[in-house]
Amino acid sequence: MEVLALVYRNLRARPVRSLLTLLGIVVATASMVLFMSFGEGLRKALGAELSSVGPALLVLPEGVEAFSAGYPELRPEVVERLEALAGELGVTKVIPSAVFVRGGFDPTSSFAFQGLPQGVSPKDLYPNLEGAEGVVTPGKGGAVVGGTIAERNKLGLGKTLRLSPEVSLEVVGVLERAGGIADSVIYVPIEAIHAVLGTKNYTSVLLSIRDDRRAEEVAAAIEARIPGVDAQTAGDVLRFAERAVRISDLVRFGISLVALLVGGLLVANTVMMSVYERIREFGLMRAIGARRRFIFGLVLLEALLLGLVGGLLGLLLGQVASFAVNWYTVREVGLALSSVTPRLAFFALLVALVLGLLAGVLPARTASRIPVVEALGRV
Amino acid sequence: MLEAIHLTKRFHQGEIDVVAVDRFSHRFQPGITAVVGPSGSGKTTLLNLLAGFDTPTEGEVRVQDGEKAVVLSKLDEGRRAELRLRLMGFVFQQWNLIPTLTALENVAFPMMLAGHRLKERQERAAALLAQVGLEKRVKHLPNRLSGGEQQRVAIARSLALDPPILFADEPTGNLDSASGERVMELITSQARKGRTVILVTHDLELARRADCVLRLRDGRLVDG
Ligand SMILES: Nc1ncnc2c1ncn2[C@@H]1O[C@H](COP(=O)(O)OP(=O)(O)OP(=O)(O)O)[C@@H](O)[C@H]1O
Ligand SMILES: [Mg+2]
Repeated sequence: MEVLALVYRNLRARPVRSLLTLLGIVVATASMVLFMSFGEGLRKALGAELSSVGPALLVLPEGVEAFSAGYPELRPEVVERLEALAGELGVTKVIPSAVFVRGGFDPTSSFAFQGLPQGVSPKDLYPNLEGAEGVVTPGKGGAVVGGTIAERNKLGLGKTLRLSPEVSLEVVGVLERAGGIADSVIYVPIEAIHAVLGTKNYTSVLLSIRDDRRAEEVAAAIEARIPGVDAQTAGDVLRFAERAVRISDLVRFGISLVALLVGGLLVANTVMMSVYERIREFGLMRAIGARRRFIFGLVLLEALLLGLVGGLLGLLLGQVASFAVNWYTVREVGLALSSVTPRLAFFALLVALVLGLLAGVLPARTASRIPVVEALGRV
Repeated sequence: MLEAIHLTKRFHQGEIDVVAVDRFSHRFQPGITAVVGPSGSGKTTLLNLLAGFDTPTEGEVRVQDGEKAVVLSKLDEGRRAELRLRLMGFVFQQWNLIPTLTALENVAFPMMLAGHRLKERQERAAALLAQVGLEKRVKHLPNRLSGGEQQRVAIARSLALDPPILFADEPTGNLDSASGERVMELITSQARKGRTVILVTHDLELARRADCVLRLRDGRLVDG
C-alpha cells in the first residue's frame, strides 16, 4: 500500500512533467489504435460483404484478384463454355458482369458502375438489397442506383447519368441502403459498359450453384476445364483478403512504432530524471533495510503506471478518433472503415504496458545499483 | 551483540591512501556508546561499516542474530539489508524521512518491508508516534514537520521492528537545544530498555551521558 502511494505521489509531486509524459503515451497509443482499427474495420466489412453475396462462385481471369476492377479481360467464349458446362456441374445461374469505375480525387466524384445482362437485377447478386423507388432491374437505357450513392450525389428518379460522351442512362430505380459496398454501386445494362469501354469482354462471371457446400469442388472442376480462369469461392476470397489485411496490419503497426518509440523514450526520460532526484531517498530506504530489488520494482512500477494509464487514455482517444473516422466514411462511402475490437483494445494495452516496462528497466537498474554509502552521502 | 574486530577501511584518493578507520576493535554493550572525535576522524566511515552500508578493507563486523553470531561484513548486499531491517534502527542527522510518505507511513515503512499486515502496521506506527509525542502529526508529510518532529518520527521508525541495535549519527546536529534535549531523552530511554545505542557525535556534552565513550583520531581508537 505504501508502495503504490509512493509511486502515485511521486508522479503527482511533479504534475506537469508527469502529465506531459502521459500525453506522449496517450497520443502514441491512440495513433496506434486508430491505425490498427482500419485493419479490423476492413475485416468486419469484408465478412459482412461476403455474407451478403448471393452467388457462391466468382470466375475471374487468371491472376486477377477479387475486388480489383481492372479492364474486363474475360472473353465471351468463357461465358459460353460456362453455360455449356452448367448442367453437368450443377450451376443454376450464370451472370456475366462488367465493372467500370470512374475515379475522382475525392470519394464524392468517383462512381462504380456494374453492368448486368438483360433481366438480371442487383438482387440476384446481393439478396438483401431492396428497392426504394422505381424499379429494381435496370432495363434498356436505365440505371438502378445504390442507396448510399443516391443520397450522396442526389441521384433521384429521372436523373441522367453520363458514362461517356456517347453513353447516357436515366435513373429508373433507387435501392434501399443495406449496409455494404453494394449501396455504393450504380447498376446498369452490360451493353452500356461495353459501349463505354469498347469491348465485349467481362470483368467476372458470377455463378450460383445447386449445392453451396460443393463450391470448392465446382471451382476446381471449372479451373480444370476452362483454361485461363480462376474460380473463387467466398472462402478463397476471404482467405486472400485476410492475407492482404494482415500485411497491411504490419505496415500500419510499423508506422505507429515510431510514435510508440517516442512515447517510450519520454517515459524513460521522465523516470530517469525522477531517479536522479531521489537518489538520497533510495539510499535511505536501502539503509533502513530495503533490498535492491525493492528499489528496482518501485521505479519499474512508476514506468508501468505511466504506461498503463497512458495506454487506457490512449485507447479512449483512439476510440473517439475511430468514431470520427467512421462518421465520415459511413456518410461518404457507406462503410465503417475503422473498428476498435476487443482484441485490438487488449493489444493496445499490452503494447503500452510493454512500453512502460522497457522504458522503466534502465532507470530501475540505475536506481537499484547505486551503493548505499554513495546514495546516503548525496545532498 | 555487535562487535568490530581489527576493522580497517582504506580509500584510494588518487596517489594517496587514506586510512579512514584503522584497526578498530570493540565489543558494543547495551546502553549508549558514544563515538566522538574531530571532523575527519572516521566516525561516519566507522558507522557505515558497523551498519553494513559499506564493506571493510580488512577485519570484520559480527552481529548476534538470535541464537547465532554472523559475520556481517562477509554477507552479500541482500542479506545485509535483511539483517539491518530486523536488527538495526537508524536516526541520521537529516534527510531521515521519505518525503512523499506521511509520518505514519514512514514509521510503518520497515514493517511493510518485513511483510507485516497493513492493519498491524498502522496500529503499531500510530502507537509509536504517540510514544514520541506526535499523535497529532500522524497524517503530516515530512515537509510539514519541524526538524525536531522529523527526528522524533525517525526515532519512532527506528523502533518499528523492535531492533536490538540503534544507530544515531548526529541526531541532534540540526536542532535547537530544546528539541535536541527531547530527542536525546527518547534515545536515552531506549538505551535504558537494553538496546545497544551507537551515538556518533562531536558534541562532548552529549557524550557525557553515554555509558561508554570511544574517542577516534585519524581512524584509530584512543584512550582516555
Ligand atoms: N568515499 C571516500 N573516499 C575517499 N575518502 C573518504 C571517503 N569517505 C571518507 N573519506 C575520508 O576518510 C576520513 C574519515 O571521514 P569520515 O567522514 O568518516 O569522518 P567523520 O569523523 O565522520 O567527520 P565529520 O565529523 O566531519 O563527519 C576523511 O579523511 C575523509 O576524507
Ligand atoms: Mg561524519
